[in-house]
Amino acid sequence: MTKLAAQGLTLGYDDRVVVDRLDVEILEGKVTTVVGANACGKSTLLRGLARLLRPRSGVVLLDDRPLDDLSTLEVARVLGVLPQTPVAPDGITVGDLVGRGRHPHQGWFRRWTEEDEAAVADALDATGSQDLVGRPLRELSGGQRQRVWVAMALAQQTEVLLLDEPTTYLDLNHQVELLRLLRDLNARSGKTIVVVLHELNLAARFSDHMIAMSDGRIVAQGAPGDVVTAELVEEVFGLRSMVVPDPVAGTPLVVPL
Amino acid sequence: MTTLDQLRDVRRSRRVRATAVTLSLTGLALGLFVVTLLVGSFRLSLGEVFGSVTHLVDDPAVDFIVRDLRLPVAVSALCVGAALGASGTIFQQLLRNPLASPDFVGVSAGASVAAVAGIVLWGTTSLVTCFLALGGAIVGSLLMYVLAWRDGISGYRFILIGIGVAATFEGITGYLLTRATVFDAREAIHWLTGTVGRADDAQQYALAASLVVLLPLAVLLQRQLRLLELGDDTARGLGGRTELAKVGLISLAVLLIALATAVAGPIAFVALVAGPLAQRLLGPAAGGILPAALVGAALLLGADLVATQLLPVALPTGVVTGALGAPYLVWLLATANREGQGG
Repeated sequence: MTKLAAQGLTLGYDDRVVVDRLDVEILEGKVTTVVGANACGKSTLLRGLARLLRPRSGVVLLDDRPLDDLSTLEVARVLGVLPQTPVAPDGITVGDLVGRGRHPHQGWFRRWTEEDEAAVADALDATGSQDLVGRPLRELSGGQRQRVWVAMALAQQTEVLLLDEPTTYLDLNHQVELLRLLRDLNARSGKTIVVVLHELNLAARFSDHMIAMSDGRIVAQGAPGDVVTAELVEEVFGLRSMVVPDPVAGTPLVVPL
Repeated sequence: MTTLDQLRDVRRSRRVRATAVTLSLTGLALGLFVVTLLVGSFRLSLGEVFGSVTHLVDDPAVDFIVRDLRLPVAVSALCVGAALGASGTIFQQLLRNPLASPDFVGVSAGASVAAVAGIVLWGTTSLVTCFLALGGAIVGSLLMYVLAWRDGISGYRFILIGIGVAATFEGITGYLLTRATVFDAREAIHWLTGTVGRADDAQQYALAASLVVLLPLAVLLQRQLRLLELGDDTARGLGGRTELAKVGLISLAVLLIALATAVAGPIAFVALVAGPLAQRLLGPAAGGILPAALVGAALLLGADLVATQLLPVALPTGVVTGALGAPYLVWLLATANREGQGG
């Protein structure tokens, strides 16, 4: 079933169109990755889906309702987003930051409740950050910090989670660890997850559904085995390669020639 | 200990700390307020001051000193300091930069140009000068908005443009001063130094009444500020209406600094220092517009006591805040560069 969709979506910055009349469907309860070369419009598409960028034309549907019909607060209770380079005030502690994910569930005058506290505790537990509660964010390693940001998005308790290149500044071990965490969250709670990823092999390994983009268009989409082929890699990344089955998971593995 | 217990502990200790800090700061500001009423060349007892302020006892000599001389200064220092502190911390948190104080980025300089032009060119009365300064601050901030704010906020860009705008205004102020008669120039320079002892009753009532409305509004908008601190994208993702919140917060901050400057002139550094000081007391990233306002009030009351009582010659308040604030600024610039942050 479709959870989030775009119809005829055109997105751009200033006078430059980045994504042109694009249609896409995000399936409920699946992990979808969006891949493509630099500047292909994948992050722009994610920002459009997350209503961080206002469409020039076209519409984004959340549960079959146009985003324009929903207040931004209503959207925030269903759809969470982790931007590419999130910023935090200097010296903020982990517990404080994750707690700010509760914003859409609080009113102007409502005080912090037991429910908020429980949501934050769950988010910290789920990401293995429970021992970091009182630590300042800036003292953490890159991998720990990214887990904490995911925890903030989890505290928001949304059905959909969009992440923009969450593995960019991480080493291989922490990249895999983060993607395992996302798979795990999807398996446990059926959360719909959309991740923009740079690393094609990791995307193939960890997603149910892949969307390959080039020049603001979708070139291929479907199961990783159908999407990742030598022809596609050449078309999208301009790289000649051989695609072999991953010896561990059997998913497609791109080996440059 | 479970995660939930840990979270409860952290939150409880933060709440206790915030309450303790706010109460102590309130006590400090009120204490300094009372001291301002008590000390001076003519010593009065606490009873005499209390009787006069509350209108319980009428004694013409005491009433003159308390109601006409000392109370206006104390009220003005309290209100101006609170407005400066609140305005400064809103700017700094919104722009995520400790240097982004409204007295640096063209707002105070706009007020100064208008006020000096009034004094020098038209020989305006103090009330008209006050309105001119208010207008100048608002025009200055609109100019900043047009030049730096359209494409969203980026800390350093805003500060650099702000310094440029301020320098332009200061250049015009300097030119006006060279054209002035000696008498006008003296008055203009006195205005430019900033002092809390100048405002008349009407101006003070206006400022106090504005604060009663604006400060609670600021505290209400604190929630939005805490979102915006995480960057526009995250704030929007969490359901914040970022553009609206920004315009609201910035208007509030500009109004606060404009009113304060109109009443007391451009008092240096209080807006810059109050927020970070409150943050030190509250703990990191605690925000706290009200505590910053209280720190501002305490600072200005203290500075005025130093300026009028401790120094051999009574000086305008702005001289003392400037002398205290300048070393802080140097320290801030030195450490900010070393840590490579602030942008």
